[in-house]
Amino acid sequence: MSTEEDRQAKAREAESRESARLWRAWRTVHEMLQDRGYTLTEEEVTISLDNFKSQFTGADGSINRSMMKFSANPSDAMMKRYSNLPTDREPTPAPPDIGTIWVEFLPDSNVGIKQMRNFAQHLSSNNFHTGILITTVNITSAALKIIPAVAADTRIETFLEQDLLVNITHHDLVPKHVLLSKEEKTALLQRYRLKDTQLPRVQTSDPVARYLGLRRGQVVKIIRMSETAGRYASYRLCV
Amino acid sequence: MTTPKMPVSILKKATNPATNSSSNSRDDRNRALALHHAGLIQQRKDIELEILLSMETLMDYPLATFPYNASNPSPEDAKTFKDLLWPFQPSDYDALLVERNINGHCGYTLCPNPRLKEEGGGKYRVIYKSGKAKDFKVVEKEELEKWCSEDCARRALYVRVQLSETPAWERGAFQSLGRIDLLDEPKSDDVVVMDGIAQMQLGGEERDRQQKTANLALERGDRGTAAQSGLVDVRIQENQVQGNAQPPSLDIDNGDLSRRLDDMHLALEGHIPTFGTGRQISQDEEDTDWKL
Repeated sequence: MSTEEDRQAKAREAESRESARLWRAWRTVHEMLQDRGYTLTEEEVTISLDNFKSQFTGADGSINRSMMKFSANPSDAMMKRYSNLPTDREPTPAPPDIGTIWVEFLPDSNVGIKQMRNFAQHLSSNNFHTGILITTVNITSAALKIIPAVAADTRIETFLEQDLLVNITHHDLVPKHVLLSKEEKTALLQRYRLKDTQLPRVQTSDPVARYLGLRRGQVVKIIRMSETAGRYASYRLCV
Repeated sequence: MTTPKMPVSILKKATNPATNSSSNSRDDRNRALALHHAGLIQQRKDIELEILLSMETLMDYPLATFPYNASNPSPEDAKTFKDLLWPFQPSDYDALLVERNINGHCGYTLCPNPRLKEEGGGKYRVIYKSGKAKDFKVVEKEELEKWCSEDCARRALYVRVQLSETPAWERGAFQSLGRIDLLDEPKSDDVVVMDGIAQMQLGGEERDRQQKTANLALERGDRGTAAQSGLVDVRIQENQVQGNAQPPSLDIDNGDLSRRLDDMHLALEGHIPTFGTGRQISQDEEDTDWKL
């Protein structure tokens, strides 16, 4: 009898641990989108564990991943930051390359070409500009090749659930990264009389660059604390 | 008296038409080179996309159902399978296996059965069929679950070993023409007929000749942009001949032989080196002290 109770207790514990994991990933994704500049309400971002559980618990009593999906719209400030500058050649610049974002947690234990195609299909049929796919397992290499193949239609970003348990930008040793708009970037390059390739670089695969969804050619301002100068700003070009 | 020279700036390059044209041609050359390499990269990307699309097609094979099975696939399916497989490397083939397994199919592309699901937990399985020690194996459960049967595993790996390790964009004409055989090629009548049709010379000599020229061009590597744009610019410049050519002769009559005997110890493979002023060793300048 006691073993039966033990088993139940263990199962309950595993379940609550699982739901806590999912809750943390859910919150990190929301913080990520907020930091990127999408509009989310404060309640959505700082959802409590109990609220989260009551919202997403399925029929079997555990958290249902397939219910965990949402979309967000870019704020005006974000639109402005991504806007293109008018040039002499093009007095009316192209609209900012940014739009509604769709976030989805995938419950599948294997993520292959088919799942990726379905996700891309869903994005393009619903006119989502960007999609974030959060998986529990690594995506197969063939499926990852789909991302550049559909890059003309939609942008796809993928994250592992375990990578989102902690918001890395809240760590002490991670300095503040601020994305510069095109206008600020040209001002910076003029101020220091640089070509953009002369800046230090940051890779697109860098964890913070992935967090901010940086694209090739964008510049981030990195603000560090300095003992002598108080604040020390450096700039990096995303490659 | 020297005329006062104009001061020459070390910063500004003197511009005259000669250097201008040469820099232009260098720019052209660089552009052609860059285009050539961009073409190579594009070719590679195209092939990679082709592999991805082929993989998506082969993921849900075979298309034909009932009378056909893994040991006797339908001729169309087998043909498409072989045709689509040419750019694959073994690693791409492994990726295809994984994708098929994710969708619950047997790893062998032409097998319509679902893959095996081993009952029970545990990471490893013990295999001993014949009861002999050499057949005793401990295998990962995942490895066993890739196929529907051992025969299919053998068929799939038979195809895998025929794939080339060289990436398709680096293969020459010779390798890319290689055919892939299946372990148990279908022996039914219609396939024999199909093969006979494929081997028939329909176009006659003209098509044969075209095919041969195309193969030769492929073998030479005449398909890149380099060959089209003529990156390698070969110009043959004939040497100007002045006077009639004369065969070398041994002139004993005019005392040349004795002169040659004098210098012979200086000759390095027939060439007599001259140092410093480049003065010629001649009869009258020679040191004559030793002469009696």
